[in-house]
Amino acid sequence: MSRRSAAWAAALALAGCGGASGDGESAVVFSAASLAAVAAAVDPGATVVAGGSNDLAAQIRDGARADVFLSASAAPLRELRSAGLVRAPVPIASNRLVVVVPRANPAEIMTLADLTRPGTKLVLGAAGVPVGDYAREALTAAGAGDALANVVSLEDDVKGVVGKVVLGEADAGVVYATDVRAAGDRVAVVAVPAAVQPEIRYFAAATESGGARAEAYLERLLGAAGAVALREGGFLPLR
Amino acid sequence: MRRAFPLLLGLALGVALVFLVLPVLALFLRVPPGELVAQLGEERARQAIVVSLKTSLVAHALVLLVGTPAAYLLATRSFRGRSLVVSVLDLPLVLPPAVAGLGLLAAFGRSGLLGRELDALGVQIPFTQVAVVLAVCFVASPFYIRAAIAAFEGVDERLVAAARTLGAGEARAFLRVSLPLAAGGLGAGSTVAFARGLGEFGATIMFAGSLPGRTQTAPLAIYDALDEEFGVALALGALLVVVSLVILVVAKAVPAWTRSAQTSPSRAATSPSR
Repeated sequence: MSRRSAAWAAALALAGCGGASGDGESAVVFSAASLAAVAAAVDPGATVVAGGSNDLAAQIRDGARADVFLSASAAPLRELRSAGLVRAPVPIASNRLVVVVPRANPAEIMTLADLTRPGTKLVLGAAGVPVGDYAREALTAAGAGDALANVVSLEDDVKGVVGKVVLGEADAGVVYATDVRAAGDRVAVVAVPAAVQPEIRYFAAATESGGARAEAYLERLLGAAGAVALREGGFLPLR
Repeated sequence: MRRAFPLLLGLALGVALVFLVLPVLALFLRVPPGELVAQLGEERARQAIVVSLKTSLVAHALVLLVGTPAAYLLATRSFRGRSLVVSVLDLPLVLPPAVAGLGLLAAFGRSGLLGRELDALGVQIPFTQVAVVLAVCFVASPFYIRAAIAAFEGVDERLVAAARTLGAGEARAFLRVSLPLAAGGLGAGSTVAFARGLGEFGATIMFAGSLPGRTQTAPLAIYDALDEEFGVALALGALLVVVSLVILVVAKAVPAWTRSAQTSPSRAATSPSR
């Protein structure tokens, strides 16, 4: 809940000091929640605002001051691009989906098909949130579309999904493989077969107002620093 | 120079008025009213309104049912630790809603304090409408209980005593004397609590999650629709403004109305021995 409000607060605070900002200041990076740790690692001086890509896009649309936007899918960027708010996006990395379950795995989830068992408490990202759209794509491709009837909550970003599973309140969630690292041994993972993995692509785009700050940040992200951070974060190279 | 101070006061009032009214007004001005109404017909909006109404009404019934006698006890008895009890009941009033959600999870969640006991009874609360109702009760009940304590304290003790000397038992005196005399204050507190419950957001999204048609109340739907269905968000927002205005008017009108109906204490006092 508070993630979006926090993002708003940060955006407002930054907008407030916007007038005094010189070019020497560090970049404000709006990052998909799943990519937030990498976004910070690329440039420790950057201010990273994490959230669902679609929410961040809505904030940029509504005037939040961001220099760089890192989106977990192409969709949130489309409207911004056509509104002339961002420059051309560059694909930067890929990821995999996994099913995350509490360590004790109370619902005994072993395969995607198990998610269709009535009474399973499944948590996904909401419509428009990339991880939710990717998950629905994978479940449908795997013939496990019935699992959608077991959804008990639609979260605003991937951290919300992981959180409900870490707390043990949900039986399973579909998230990125990279998100599970932070949750450590409080959760276990069930693989999503390669055949039904959706094509996950992260994009980076400078905002029209990003200027030199955005250029400097993107240079690091697309260079060696970015490659190391992405690899260490468990992200995959583009296929 | 002598005029400067009143001018300053007027200026402050003007700033406050504009600042507080403008955002509310802007909700209605962003799109034409016809479209606002049309958006309320959207599946997402309708579901949210139904969930909100259902959970708010159930929660409100519970708040009244438990809150009224509890407040009566606190208003009419003095005992050791009474002020502590009153303060504890006020706690949700000042607690950040996110903390309330966290607490509800820690208490009633599957891995919470009572999780195992509830599980043994086959009861699972998180992600259900029960969770929404509990969240609303938690944040809204202090508003009612506070007002109810004050309302019962305002009842003239002599009238209750008179009813008792005329043979009414304590329960009967409560029902026929205290309750009707406190009705104005109870009604006002009740409407404010209802409004707070209807607007509940933080505790609900943490404890009950957000699923359209099940746990997604109107405020959660506004939040969720912000990115893709801005029209639905606006329409729900406008609807909540209208509901809030009605509640505000009712909250102001009820005490005045009951006061004028009960100006004669003798009438109220004679009714128990009728």
